[in-house]
Amino acid sequence: MKLPDYFLADLPSDAQFSSALITEACLTLKRNRERFLAGRSTASLIDTIASVAADWLDPDNPFRQAALDKGPSETGFSRETLEAGLDALFGSITTEGLQRLVLQDLGHLDRLERLTGSETEPGSSRLAIARGPELLVHITAGRLPNPPVMSVVLGLLARSAQFVKCASGTSFLLRLFGHSLREVEPKLGACLEIAEWKGGNEMLESALFAQADCLTAMGDDSTLEAIRPRVPPQVRFLGYGHRVSFGYIAREVLDHHSFSKTAASAAIDVAAWDQLGCLSPHLFYVETGGRHSPDHFAEQLARELDRLEAKQPRGNLPLETAAAIAARRSIYEVRAAFSSDTKVWKSTDSTSWTVVYENDPQFQFSCLNRFIYVKAVQNIDHALRGADPVRGRVATVGLAAPGLREQELAHRLAAWGVPRVCPIGRMQSPPPTWRHDGRPSLGDLILWTDWERSERSFL
Amino acid sequence: MNLERFQLFGERMRDFISRSAGSFHPHPEPERDADSEFNALAIELFKLQYDSVSPYRTWCESKGVKPPSVSHWSQIPAMPTAAFKELELTCLPIEQRHAVFHSSGTSRHQPSRHWHNELSLSLYEASLLAWFQPHLVPEHGRDEQCPLQWLALTPPPNLAPRSSLVHMLGAVTSRFGSGKAVFAGRPASDNTWLLDVDSACAMLDEAEVENAPVCILTTAFHCLELISGLAERGKRIRLPLGSRLMETGGYKGRSREVSKQELYNMVRDRLGITPEYCVSEYGMTELSSQAYDWVAGKTSRSSSGLSHETARCFRFPPWARIQVISPETSRPVSQGETGLLRICDLANVYSVMAVQTDDLVVLRNHGFEFLGRKAGSEPRGCSLMAK
Repeated sequence: MKLPDYFLADLPSDAQFSSALITEACLTLKRNRERFLAGRSTASLIDTIASVAADWLDPDNPFRQAALDKGPSETGFSRETLEAGLDALFGSITTEGLQRLVLQDLGHLDRLERLTGSETEPGSSRLAIARGPELLVHITAGRLPNPPVMSVVLGLLARSAQFVKCASGTSFLLRLFGHSLREVEPKLGACLEIAEWKGGNEMLESALFAQADCLTAMGDDSTLEAIRPRVPPQVRFLGYGHRVSFGYIAREVLDHHSFSKTAASAAIDVAAWDQLGCLSPHLFYVETGGRHSPDHFAEQLARELDRLEAKQPRGNLPLETAAAIAARRSIYEVRAAFSSDTKVWKSTDSTSWTVVYENDPQFQFSCLNRFIYVKAVQNIDHALRGADPVRGRVATVGLAAPGLREQELAHRLAAWGVPRVCPIGRMQSPPPTWRHDGRPSLGDLILWTDWERSERSFL
Repeated sequence: MNLERFQLFGERMRDFISRSAGSFHPHPEPERDADSEFNALAIELFKLQYDSVSPYRTWCESKGVKPPSVSHWSQIPAMPTAAFKELELTCLPIEQRHAVFHSSGTSRHQPSRHWHNELSLSLYEASLLAWFQPHLVPEHGRDEQCPLQWLALTPPPNLAPRSSLVHMLGAVTSRFGSGKAVFAGRPASDNTWLLDVDSACAMLDEAEVENAPVCILTTAFHCLELISGLAERGKRIRLPLGSRLMETGGYKGRSREVSKQELYNMVRDRLGITPEYCVSEYGMTELSSQAYDWVAGKTSRSSSGLSHETARCFRFPPWARIQVISPETSRPVSQGETGLLRICDLANVYSVMAVQTDDLVVLRNHGFEFLGRKAGSEPRGCSLMAK
């Protein structure tokens, strides 16, 4: 499939842009928004988005096929990892999911169309309408399609013209999504621009920021700090910095009944997008005192990762990354030779997966690409003391625990400041209603007009 | 512990070193040298170290390797460099550890350690001098030899007793430096080195006036410091023909990065030393032997700078052999392929001879081209000593 040159990112990688071209592109986007998007109803937008997402689940869909065929060379993920990841992403973008999102963040499905009250404000004399930014700019990072695709979906719901600036070499999957939207509704496609350049290009970015009403940026903290002062004061800035995730496994699920199932779910979280997302676990804390010990869990996780490697292999790595894994393995192999407090399981003849068990709760950043730590802890307090260095920077905790304990642990994690707790096995698949970094994702984009009605208007 | 067996082996190593130092012949194919003297010595030393360095024995056992199963040096288990930070990899009992070298790095990183006594230090010196000489002072011992003056951009040995590089430079200047030797660096409080550009300049100015060739010994980082210092002072020194440079270490983790070619161009511009007289050294605290990528003063076949660079390739002496290991499969790579450098250094008698580094290199004709410290690892190498 040959994509037409429609977005700036479709042009050859050596194409040169000028600031005038960026400004012109933004003005065009705003004009198109006025003509094609500003007057659209939420219901019709949700229909369109859900239908584009459903198309992506169809094995015969040409955009999906292109993603799976060219994706391995363009993104570094294996075909099977792409398949699993795209299924999870687009499977979550449904009419019901999007409606729930609007209801959750805005209180009423019509909030973006007319002045209305919500069910939570009965009898109020106040009505309100939500307005999205005219031009929404996204600065994205990383190879996962989930963050930029969800950003575009939110922007569409907010009726914003959108300009997505991708980090170099990362626009492939978003471009396919953009083209798939354009095929279903060319007029919506005309309200979206996708471009790719190396971040920090002052000339292009100044032109872009000057046209924006709201700007979202993802990346590590230094990237955000570099962008923030360059954003004009009247432009709203929403920064999503680097976050880490981990799992917590209660002793009760280490019984014969759920032991292997939990390990299999944990393996899915490690393998999803080769562990490269903010929602991917760096480690699993496993409670001692269960029927199986934490190191048995680590061994079972290794078996599951090995099994998963056969049907959903990890992508090929650049040598430097493989070397980082090899060096990290050797550190733990040395320790394992001297103490049973450290154990290592690894794929043979490859760096495909590695499990390191440590009897030490100290949080460890993984070198990712399916390199996972399993750490024995006595209880949740023990684990949270170990995780203290990343407190406030956690995105998700995957949790495996039965009934009441699950509730008790979720409560404890919430009090500690974790913004999302979900079952093990679903860490990389948040629903559209997910509050990114604990903030309402759609709610953060919009501004309100409150109308406090005079008594006369009730007549 | 009875060190007599190590002492006797050390004597044989000195003999092996003195017999083979002049040899520039390429190493034989690793598969074909099973009956070589190198192989016999390696297997014997492996037995010694297996018996006497207990953490190394534990490591070998964890890999399922025992001396009877080893018939070729390439089967000897290599110790990852990370282990030199955590384990005491030496056969020397505490009372015999008269000196210790630490790898460079910021003070929050735990350094690698290499312990020595007098005998192991003297073997270290024998090894380093025997391979330094043919690369940096190839005319030594010949009639046309001219006396060199020496400028080290590091602290002097008495102020940096834990640097194996500074110990090496001390040994080199005492052995070959009949003339003047200046150490223009000093240690700073935070484990880095500061360069006294003024005293370096004064020495170089004098050498220029006296028409005395100078050998500059430095980390790449300090070399750049000197170049910037000269540029700030608007100075260009024209050192006489025969002047030369030995630089070592990368720049990883530091703000200024230049390629080797750029560095050598700057050296030519500011100091008047041509690239043919610039030699790169590869060494590490954990080892007792070094690799060099050029012979000072050797003219390249082509006059173009580019092919001069491609001809460069690091080589260890005949008493140290390398393997390049694929990080993906852990198996040796073929010629021209990239992997992690593993060194079997017979001069590492009192420690562990087989060392697995984190350094990515390309295997070239039994030598290697250095690509850099692997991503994500702790930065290491003497360049970090510079502030």
